[in-house]
Amino acid sequence: MKMRALMLVIPIAALYLLVPLLFRSNLYLMSLMVASLTIGGVALAWALLGNLGGMVSFGHAAFFGVGSYVSALLTMKLGLPVLPAMLLGGLGAALASLAMLPALRLKGPYFALAILAYAQIFRILATEFRGITGGAGGLSSIPALPQIFGFDFGSKVGGYVVILTMVITFVFIYYLIRKSYYGLALKAMHESEDATRVVGVNSTLLKALMLCVSAFMTGMIGAFNAHYINFLEPDYAFGASWTVVPIIAAIFGGYRTILGPLVGAIGVYMIDQLIFKNMLPTGHEIILGAMLVGMIIFSPTGLVPLISKKIRTRRFQLWSQNN
Amino acid sequence: MFELILQALYSGLLTGASYALIALGLALVFGTMKIINLAHGELVLLAAYIAYMTESWMKINPVFAIPIALVVVCLTSVIVYFLVSRIEKDRELNSLILTYGIGIILTNAVLLLWKADIHSTGNAWFQQPLVLGSLYSMNSEVIFSVVSVVLMVCVWWWLSRSWYGRAVRAVSSNRDAAKLMGVNPQWTELISFIVAGVLASFAGVAIYSSGVIQPAMGGSLTVKAFIITVLAGAGSIPGVLLGAILLGVAESLTITLYSSALQELTGMLLFLLVLFVLPNGLFGARGRRG
Repeated sequence: MKMRALMLVIPIAALYLLVPLLFRSNLYLMSLMVASLTIGGVALAWALLGNLGGMVSFGHAAFFGVGSYVSALLTMKLGLPVLPAMLLGGLGAALASLAMLPALRLKGPYFALAILAYAQIFRILATEFRGITGGAGGLSSIPALPQIFGFDFGSKVGGYVVILTMVITFVFIYYLIRKSYYGLALKAMHESEDATRVVGVNSTLLKALMLCVSAFMTGMIGAFNAHYINFLEPDYAFGASWTVVPIIAAIFGGYRTILGPLVGAIGVYMIDQLIFKNMLPTGHEIILGAMLVGMIIFSPTGLVPLISKKIRTRRFQLWSQNN
Repeated sequence: MFELILQALYSGLLTGASYALIALGLALVFGTMKIINLAHGELVLLAAYIAYMTESWMKINPVFAIPIALVVVCLTSVIVYFLVSRIEKDRELNSLILTYGIGIILTNAVLLLWKADIHSTGNAWFQQPLVLGSLYSMNSEVIFSVVSVVLMVCVWWWLSRSWYGRAVRAVSSNRDAAKLMGVNPQWTELISFIVAGVLASFAGVAIYSSGVIQPAMGGSLTVKAFIITVLAGAGSIPGVLLGAILLGVAESLTITLYSSALQELTGMLLFLLVLFVLPNGLFGARGRRG
């Protein structure tokens, strides 16, 4: 038990202390870290819905956009402090997900495309309600993250600490949900939804809860992003890339694991920005698309399960040799 | 005002006819394999860019691009089929993500080959107005909506009369039973993908001849095709045509009465409305989605 606690504390401490210490001077690398964690957070929320709820969503950009707009507008129009506004941004996205509840009746492709339709509707609404959202011109000079006890959370390192804390909290929440009674019921639903309903699990309610939690997480990360870059426009905040890159990251890392989407996000985003973007300034997403196709065909469960399986068999071989 | 609305209905009808071609391809594949090919719009896009390329390089009418488009698009469609058929587990969801990825590849390939600029045909005759009483349209719109209806009648005839068409319907209604009756399901699925490619080729050339094209439009074409499939309900070709016309008319009425920015919103709202209120579509008798 003590070992496990150590295994948990050491990497987290390294993430908090070592990464800023090593890369503090390299602002470009630091901003890449923040961006990849942002995508990682969305990928985590997407995978929560996909793994626990059994739903593929092509509309997470809607939650991201709603969260970022709610938080930005609350701070700008009502003068709310940034951190509570971010929380309310998450709640706003969860509220927006309530509008999608009727879609839970649908299955497979119908659900995926209904949610895509919702994402489009939200983007068009954000563009058309010029009075509140500033229309296609967007919002600029959104308040940055505050200074607390002399530490500037608006800086690159500060932003890193905030997003890291959020992501770690979300990982913990995901873990708790999966371990709970609900997690078990959801797992059973994945095997057979009808059978689970028969034994008295309200499957629609559980799916709705997962949609809400996933929307809340995505919305809060969107809110963080708005205060971190201080600028928003509908085509950016509701852009398809907030759906595409997290999906690729989650599939790549393995969306049935908790850490897979995070590892996938950091890996995919870093490789994309540092290598592919230099090779192909426009259209570098072609490689991401190819990776997605390759993953689905060769290893639909992702790379992290594949690697850990390899390690486990290797350990087993060593163990059996010793005996 | 009345004339404006009449004009909007007429333009919507013509647009709807070319939407129907795209939707029929998607619906055909959905019928046989129970998967949504999210790269279908990109197949149409590819055909449209081939039409652009033939016109701008060889200085000939984009109609002559159809043979080239047929070869390239059908080949791509076959590749999509082989990739999809390699999925072993959870085909319904994995095929969505897979074809989504193929869509990303095709969009970016078009972007790399032809840049992000917007193109439209330079053919003067296609763009000349055709006046019918008080109604206006371009020559190309009328020609391609006639072509579209003819093609749909052909597909309808093929599905209801020919051996392969019946095989397609047999596989879509019960794959295992069809297999026992001596129908090769793989072949049948492949053929439905090829026919979808043929329809996409014509649709692409039609879109290029009567409108503007840009690399990012593939996704919205797929969404439109899916909306029409939902409107139509399962297994009804006249339903696809009527659904497409309904979408086209709804869009053009929105443009006339409100603004072009809300054009997509109408389609989405129509889609959600039908999905929730009439789960079997407007014209489909069977097939449940909930």
